[in-house]
Amino acid sequence: MHQPDTRPHALRNGGELRSTLADDPDMRELVGQFVESLGKRVTLLESLLLGGETAELRRAAHQLKGAGGGYGFDPISAAAGALERSVDAGASHEELRASMDELASLCRRASV
Amino acid sequence: MSGSAPVTRVLAIDDSEDIHAILRARLEREGLVLESAASGAEGLAAVLADPPALILLDLGLPGMDGFEVLRHLKDNDRTHSIPVIVLSGSDDAKDKVRGLDMGAVDYVCKPFDHYELSARLRVALRTQRLLEMLARRAQIDGLTGLWNREHFDARLADALATSARHGAPLALAYGDLDHFKSVNDTYGHSAGDAVLEGFADILLGELREADVAFRLGGEEFALLLPDTTVEESIAVLERIRASLAGVCWPRHPDRAITCSFGVADRGVGGSWEPSAWMEAADKALYAAKNAGRDRVMIAHGEEIEPAPC
Repeated sequence: MHQPDTRPHALRNGGELRSTLADDPDMRELVGQFVESLGKRVTLLESLLLGGETAELRRAAHQLKGAGGGYGFDPISAAAGALERSVDAGASHEELRASMDELASLCRRASV
Repeated sequence: MSGSAPVTRVLAIDDSEDIHAILRARLEREGLVLESAASGAEGLAAVLADPPALILLDLGLPGMDGFEVLRHLKDNDRTHSIPVIVLSGSDDAKDKVRGLDMGAVDYVCKPFDHYELSARLRVALRTQRLLEMLARRAQIDGLTGLWNREHFDARLADALATSARHGAPLALAYGDLDHFKSVNDTYGHSAGDAVLEGFADILLGELREADVAFRLGGEEFALLLPDTTVEESIAVLERIRASLAGVCWPRHPDRAITCSFGVADRGVGGSWEPSAWMEAADKALYAAKNAGRDRVMIAHGEEIEPAPC
């Protein structure tokens, strides 16, 4: 079923997702490390989803929800939270897939 | 790990290394040192090894969850007064209520705004300082600043244990200001208070570093003298008596104040029962009063005798 895309323009257009803390001297280095680690994290989430390891998937999503905002990526926190809620709600594989794709797409576009 | 520098250490018990890293960067700016533990068991061990000033506790921990960690912390006398802020990914009101009712001082949801978290940390640490001050004050006599009777009982138990462990002597002296009631009746209670305060100052000035003075109530005082035999205590007590007798009191320059002491030590190898020991010191004080006050009497076993001059 096709749903209208109601996300803000910046997230819809596939452009860079910048950390709100990019200019924070206390955090710049940590944010850089976080962005670099996102590829590996997405790979892990994908493999947990494919392997049906929902408990571990939930845990990883929960952690990403807790941390994303701390690195200045509130949309990543929100998307990870949505994935966590999908797991909690016993969502179908297709629904989890959709949440996962949303999160993965945000992670790929993250930049310092 | 714990040096002499006055660092405020905060322990984060959280299974996310991201949270450790973010907190470390954020709290450094507040002058706080962050230590971290990745599980409840690791966290509890760290708290017991070196208690931090504050604990940031995640709820969704693997194995022992955050509520269980909180219960352990609050059940243990050594850890129950350390403030805990729950830092959780759950914004469920039920979790908030449960955590706060179990003894957490605050609850912050993840992802957190670091300005807000820092402010809440400052509030928790500020409140903790006030609580510690109140707890100390509850053991301090308001007039003289000496320890009060509540603290005497606790310190007595500690001193006995230390004395027994090291086979060291321990002397207990009871002191009482002579004719104190008549000072109050003749010159008024404020004059009496001035005498109590003056006597406390003399005690603090004449006692040695390890000695501890208590105001038990009214004009009754107690002195705990570690590593001290009855014979050795006499020099200290006579010094106190001489200082007191030499004071010229502004409110009653013609009326000197004296005091009586009774003292007993625990005997060789702590051979006396604590209750018999305390009773002996009390009997010695009573004997000093009966013998005309203004003197030190010592208890040697059942025998009470005047201190040799």
